[in-house]
Amino acid sequence: MSISTQYAPERTHKPQAFAGGIASLADDRLYALQNPFALDGRVSSYPASARGFAVVNSYLLTQPDAAMLIDTGFGKDEPVIRGQIEALIAPGLPLSMFPLRLNEFMSINNVESFAGHFNVETCYTSNIDAALWFDFGAKAEGRDILKSMKVTAVTRADTIALGKEGRLIDVMQAPIRLIATRWLYDRTTRTLFSSDMFTHVWRDTATGPWIVTEADNDSTSLPDVRSFMLNTRYWWLEGAPTDTIRRGIGNVFDKYDIECIAPGYGCILRGRNVVARHYAMLDEFLKACDKSVAVSRYVTRDEER
Amino acid sequence: MLDKPQLKSMLDTPVAQRMPREIAPGVFWIGDCLAQRHKGKSYHGYNAAYLVAGTEASILVETGHPKDFPVIERHMNELFARGVAPLKYLFVTHQETPHCGGLGRILKNFPDALLVGDVSDYHLAFPQYEHRMRSMNEGDEIELGGRSLMAVEPVIRDLRTTWWGFDTKERVLFPGDGFAYSHYHEDGHCGLIAEEAVSLDLPDVSSTFADLALFWTKFADMNVYCDRLDHLIARLDVKIIGPTHGLPITDVKTTVPKVQAGLKAAALMPESGTNEKVAAS
Repeated sequence: MSISTQYAPERTHKPQAFAGGIASLADDRLYALQNPFALDGRVSSYPASARGFAVVNSYLLTQPDAAMLIDTGFGKDEPVIRGQIEALIAPGLPLSMFPLRLNEFMSINNVESFAGHFNVETCYTSNIDAALWFDFGAKAEGRDILKSMKVTAVTRADTIALGKEGRLIDVMQAPIRLIATRWLYDRTTRTLFSSDMFTHVWRDTATGPWIVTEADNDSTSLPDVRSFMLNTRYWWLEGAPTDTIRRGIGNVFDKYDIECIAPGYGCILRGRNVVARHYAMLDEFLKACDKSVAVSRYVTRDEER
Repeated sequence: MLDKPQLKSMLDTPVAQRMPREIAPGVFWIGDCLAQRHKGKSYHGYNAAYLVAGTEASILVETGHPKDFPVIERHMNELFARGVAPLKYLFVTHQETPHCGGLGRILKNFPDALLVGDVSDYHLAFPQYEHRMRSMNEGDEIELGGRSLMAVEPVIRDLRTTWWGFDTKERVLFPGDGFAYSHYHEDGHCGLIAEEAVSLDLPDVSSTFADLALFWTKFADMNVYCDRLDHLIARLDVKIIGPTHGLPITDVKTTVPKVQAGLKAAALMPESGTNEKVAAS
């Protein structure tokens, strides 16, 4: 066998100063549950050469009589995220879950555990048959828990009403995606939940900061966005007919008043100017990829651009 | 040598009860179908796994869909009871859960097994098994006794952290998301190899799968990817293909061009999006 015997860089085993935290994006309405992980070449959502840290973000939308969890985080963080939710909602409060991608651990890894622990009212998905997609064997009785969990299918363009006040959350098919992905828009907090898009800001240290605000000197540039996109899951965009993708994203930003972009990974982008700047960079990148100005060619697995 | 299924009563016997199927000496196709609703129809696809058995050790390629773990485990145990070499390795092509959702339970139930391949993300999902994860580079081989499994170029992929597998003895390629297409349950295709499923309309089923799971193939120039695929198949002298989602291919020269035509045709059809809302059955 000629495989590498080194399974983890040493620093990933060292205690890290920041074990995760709750960030209030709107008191009593919206919280980010942010848990860091090292970028050491072993994270599929980041370029192989990226070093430093990112966070995986779950979001908790709270109402007096109900709450919704968007994405459930990685298994490594299950006890921490469970504690974060417990700190924010009363015991027994009806909780719904909405994993934005059915195929990825960061979205669905803890559905099974949370369904067994909280008063889960329903799990929203794009697939009515999805319950056993979440069966990772976390609990001995996990399969029974999942079979009894209510699953509510949502369309590519739908609206959820959370709690008796009917807080409206719009559901949309992600206009740019790798696999089946939903984006959400919370009308109350004017927040777009963008799943694996806008995940391009990471940090040198585990302590962040994990929110980019208008007061920050955000140095993210168009070349940064380009490099991130082409060196991660969107490696195939160069030379593609991106005009249709741009129109799809543009429609979202035209239709909704977005004050905050809440991605599944990395820094949250908060403030109208921050949102506008990062959207403009993404759009400019996509425009430069279009087949009218770029050529689609074979991209090898480890090519970095 | 191909283990032939009983075509009679094909529709009456769930595919999980007809597996394992030996698609080449020592290469066993295991798992179950996954029905998905799309455009008002029910399409069947696979989230297959393959057990490759050497004289000293076996390697499991893919773990199957999370829902299928009990079936996968049963199929493996049936094979081990028949004298197949013990499971010492698990290789998954990439980190999407229909390919690796059983990973934690495999490592728990087979405590001597190591996870090999591109091991990104798994330490985040299953940190308790991080010490049993080994990274592979292109060309690295896992020796099984009389054969090995090699990590090879993943021509058709979505996540950048993909490897394809290749059995050096019977020259079987395990292309993960490559050769991904659904099949017609109503026509009795479940459990058949591609050459046996004569009514399969490859452009239709390839396009369906692209809508459900391979969005990028609607945007990239698939001609260059098909050319590269031809190059890889020739370079490795591939004899059999064991895709995760499609039906196994045993006549590479005849069937691969048809699948490629389906992929190219699918690329020309506008993407129609992922699962629409359907009523609970």
